Amino acid sequence: MRSLIRFLLKYKTLFFFLFLEILSLVMIVNYNQFQRVHFLSSSNIVVGSLYNLTSKVSNYLSLSSVNQALVEENAELKFQNEKLNFQLDRMRYDTSYVKRNDFAEDKHFIFRTARVVHSFTNMKNNYLTIDKGECDGIQKGMGVINEKGVVGIVCDVSCHFSVVIPILNSRARINAKIAGKSNVGTVLWTGHDVRYAKLKEVPQYIPVELGDTVKSSANTAVFPEDVMIGTITEIERLNNDFYLIDVKLSVDFSNIKYVDVIEFRHKDELEQLERKEDSK
Amino acid sequence: MNGALKYGLLFIGLLLLQVLILNNILFLGFINPYLYIYFILILPSSVNKDITLLLGFCLGLMVDIFCGSIGCHAFATTLLAYLKPHFQKVFGPREDYETVTPSFRTFGMKEFLQYTIILVFIHQLAYFFAEAFTFTGFFQTLLKAICCAIFTILFIYIIEKLKYKR
Repeated sequence: MRSLIRFLLKYKTLFFFLFLEILSLVMIVNYNQFQRVHFLSSSNIVVGSLYNLTSKVSNYLSLSSVNQALVEENAELKFQNEKLNFQLDRMRYDTSYVKRNDFAEDKHFIFRTARVVHSFTNMKNNYLTIDKGECDGIQKGMGVINEKGVVGIVCDVSCHFSVVIPILNSRARINAKIAGKSNVGTVLWTGHDVRYAKLKEVPQYIPVELGDTVKSSANTAVFPEDVMIGTITEIERLNNDFYLIDVKLSVDFSNIKYVDVIEFRHKDELEQLERKEDSK
Repeated sequence: MNGALKYGLLFIGLLLLQVLILNNILFLGFINPYLYIYFILILPSSVNKDITLLLGFCLGLMVDIFCGSIGCHAFATTLLAYLKPHFQKVFGPREDYETVTPSFRTFGMKEFLQYTIILVFIHQLAYFFAEAFTFTGFFQTLLKAICCAIFTILFIYIIEKLKYKR
């Protein structure tokens, strides 16, 4: 017994070292559980407010590019306004048009604009921290977009901050479809180039061409339908009757300052209804 | 006490420098210097080995919390802190081993650089493989580790140079 204690004492540094290494490995392996622990993620109040402060300084320095983005968005909105005016005019004459384009549909979604206080693009599992949280009505699982397209999904919220898993995270899976087709595939990131992602699970009987756009699908009620994700740059046919498609992302993740968080108002209702249907 | 305070401030200073400024450099899209390990490299040898380990783990974990890479930096920095006293014995001066603080002056420039290069490379390899957690894309991960290690060593070299410029 005494020699055992002597043995342990002699190698106590080694044991302490091994203990700490195993602890770190456990944290890496259980990444998802630890992400939920607030004080270990950047939604914790100290880290959040520190990043908030530095982003205020850097935001001031990048005002001109933000301005540029706003001008572009403005132009886009003007264009949409024109289009809607045109549709409205048409509806005055064609009373059945309203029924065909369900007019109330847009009210299913609420948009909340948030500022990105910190973002990573250099790792395999990147994420963004934004300055709105539970107190502002944001919840886990909500979709996040900006003026260019789909950004990601909220994975953790504290009172004033939220953490978003962007497409650029090897754990992110986002339902998508090719514009004009109804089939749904999955967009995921392989962890190398921040400009490109892969689209999988699209069956080969669908004709796909280079330059086609990839858009969000409304299947999971996270994103509205037809939000831009990217354009197709390369198509590979796999042996299992599916495509492997390279998608150039429309969002520039290295320069992202403001995002919109989307709340789908009737999500619970929809899920309950579907669950009821499943259990029948 | 004075020494402890000095190293406490250095710990916080390097941590903030790392997470608020250096992590945003992203030279060529992915290359960052990981200067915070300089803290472990220049710890005096009079510091107990267990305390060195604990400091390494805490420093790594702090950087992890800011980076969202829970465990990766902690893993690599703990390894660094464990190996540091051994390499210090190899490269450090033979006499008064018990009280030496690693630097250009005490080690000699060549020895200090060798000491730094080996430890930084080990740290960067450990970090990037812990982050990838796979050996697929082996060469991509290796390339990342090598680039970041070179960048880190360069930063440490400049700081050591500046320290003795006065």
